[in-house]
Amino acid sequence: MVEKFIIGTTALFSDPISVLIFIFGVLGGMLFGAIPGVSMLTLAAILLPFTANLEPAQGVMLFAVIYCTGTYGGAITAILFNIPGAPENAPTAFDGYPMTQKGLAGKAVGAAVLCSAIGGIASALIMMAATEPLANWAISNIGPPEIFALVFFGLAVASSVGGKTIWKGWMSVLLGLLIATIGQDPVGGINRYNFGFVDLAAGIAFVPAILGFFAVSEIFIQAEKTATGIYKAPKFSVDFPTIKELWLHKIAVVRSILVGFFCGILPGIGAILAAFMGYGEAVRWSKKRETFGKGNLEGVISSETANNAATGAAMIPLLALGLPGGALTAMMVAVFQMHDLEPGPLVFYNSPDLIWVVFAAMFFANVSILFIGLLETKTIMYLLKIPFHFLAPMILLLASIGAYIGRGLVLDVMVMFGAGILGFFLRRSGYSIPGIVLGIILGKIGEQNFAQGMQMVHYDLFVYLSRPICLLLILAGLFTLVASVYGALSMSTQAKENEN
Amino acid sequence: MGKLNSFHIIETSIWLFIVLVFFIFSFEFNQNIEIYRFGATGWPRAVLVLLTLVSLGNLYHLWRNGDAIQPGRVGFSSEDNEEEIKNRNFVSYLKLCCILISPFLYAYSLKPIGFYSASPIFILIIILILGERRWQWIIGVTAFIYILLLLLFVGFLNAPLPQGYISPFYDFSANILSLNTQLQNMKSW
Repeated sequence: MVEKFIIGTTALFSDPISVLIFIFGVLGGMLFGAIPGVSMLTLAAILLPFTANLEPAQGVMLFAVIYCTGTYGGAITAILFNIPGAPENAPTAFDGYPMTQKGLAGKAVGAAVLCSAIGGIASALIMMAATEPLANWAISNIGPPEIFALVFFGLAVASSVGGKTIWKGWMSVLLGLLIATIGQDPVGGINRYNFGFVDLAAGIAFVPAILGFFAVSEIFIQAEKTATGIYKAPKFSVDFPTIKELWLHKIAVVRSILVGFFCGILPGIGAILAAFMGYGEAVRWSKKRETFGKGNLEGVISSETANNAATGAAMIPLLALGLPGGALTAMMVAVFQMHDLEPGPLVFYNSPDLIWVVFAAMFFANVSILFIGLLETKTIMYLLKIPFHFLAPMILLLASIGAYIGRGLVLDVMVMFGAGILGFFLRRSGYSIPGIVLGIILGKIGEQNFAQGMQMVHYDLFVYLSRPICLLLILAGLFTLVASVYGALSMSTQAKENEN
Repeated sequence: MGKLNSFHIIETSIWLFIVLVFFIFSFEFNQNIEIYRFGATGWPRAVLVLLTLVSLGNLYHLWRNGDAIQPGRVGFSSEDNEEEIKNRNFVSYLKLCCILISPFLYAYSLKPIGFYSASPIFILIIILILGERRWQWIIGVTAFIYILLLLLFVGFLNAPLPQGYISPFYDFSANILSLNTQLQNMKSW
């Protein structure tokens, strides 16, 4: 492995064009991740046609680097403005933004930089050492029933942490699942809920919905605060966390690496679920559960370690099986196809140079998060000094560009603003925006895998649950669900006792 | 009525109405899929049944506890809402309506007017609604944001943005794009 890594590194850094592309990917991913309103997906969508002019290794490497650094960059906007750069950064905002409000933005961003780098480097190392055996394990042990079970578990975790009550958490997730049913059904390709609009046959585009629910609704919330005169500008600080502070959370880091890597390795799941599960597990195992959501550093650490730990792992199903784990890895498949290559087991034998250049680039991209990230962070913190009434139009305009660029449809800009207004009212009523977004993203994956799983076991639920990983995940999801419902019902009982 | 108020009843009614609408529309695609027993409606209807149950659970919770936040939930604080409700008046509602409507007008204008003409007007309106009254700042910041985004997305990334079809807006977009082409040709020299 070391020999191949050295060969990959040499190939990467001996070619000046590749070096320039690597630097562009690192800076571009960080910048687009960290600018509120756009994301790494916006940059990737713009760059996709240009990769046709690059060497295959350069094109795939560029997207892999953007994936690593963009996943980290999105944490900055989540922490500073409560606008996650990507869905995988949503749990980071749960504790990161309260920290900013308390004047601890520097500590939250510093922890995000360090933990993103640690998660990413650990993931890259495991990926380099074990892509083939892990892919073989995944092929033989993970099928549609397991993926559906993990989706169920992930949605149970998301509903148990977001929303004012467990009921509103589940209503948010179910609304997301309902929105995801718009468009063609994943089994028979039958049009559902297009309400007479031809463009809705392709479903609700994922990027405008995310931008609307996260960025636009947050702008509306802050605008309302400005209108009622209670807007408080976030406090500026560049105090990074001390080594001692971070060392206290070492177990959370290790746990999140494992959770993130496991989620990342499963086709179709990716970093989004990893972040939610990393955060959910941190809450579950903490002795100070009540401090989560109010500015607990461990919340930021768990979410950011887990989502970056999934980046390397997400390359395993992509490269070994040809199955993308998310929107950006799906674009990587397009890069492969532009160069007449098919990601899959044969790519290891036909293009080993390409694989190891990509692996080396991902490793060094994660290392550069640590160094460039710390330098960049100090500069980006100054965004907090820009008055809200100047920042808001910029974010809205960037979000409009981000929504439009994906498919070149003005309808997507309207969908984004519609999602923004819906998100505004839902947030004000105590619903969970990350829950809705997770429902939208995982809805189709869940339905498709449920259908395939049912076909596999001939609709026999006993056979379905006789698969150990599937059973374990379903039980974990049910346990999470029952514990939350019990919490809600015991609250009702307490209220009744207080009345008496 | 417990701790229920009219808002809670309206909220639950909206959810049940959504369920009803989606259920009725599900008959439009109620077709069998030969290879899949549950058909195209199986999954959406399961989601609708769950949504109904959870909405009723939510109603029960509201009846018992009102708007109280369940312990252990993250990302919610009742303080801001209370302060906001206290400070609401006609002007704040008007401002909020403007801020909610203006992005839609902007999105609607993108097709006929184009990004290049609609965007500076949109930036200016948002800054004004949010309370800035110093003209030199309004014009300066509008110009800064507009030029910055043009440089990044048009000059550097060549992103295709809507140009509009109504004159003189279309001509304005065409002028900006030809200027960009000239600048890029100069760079390649």
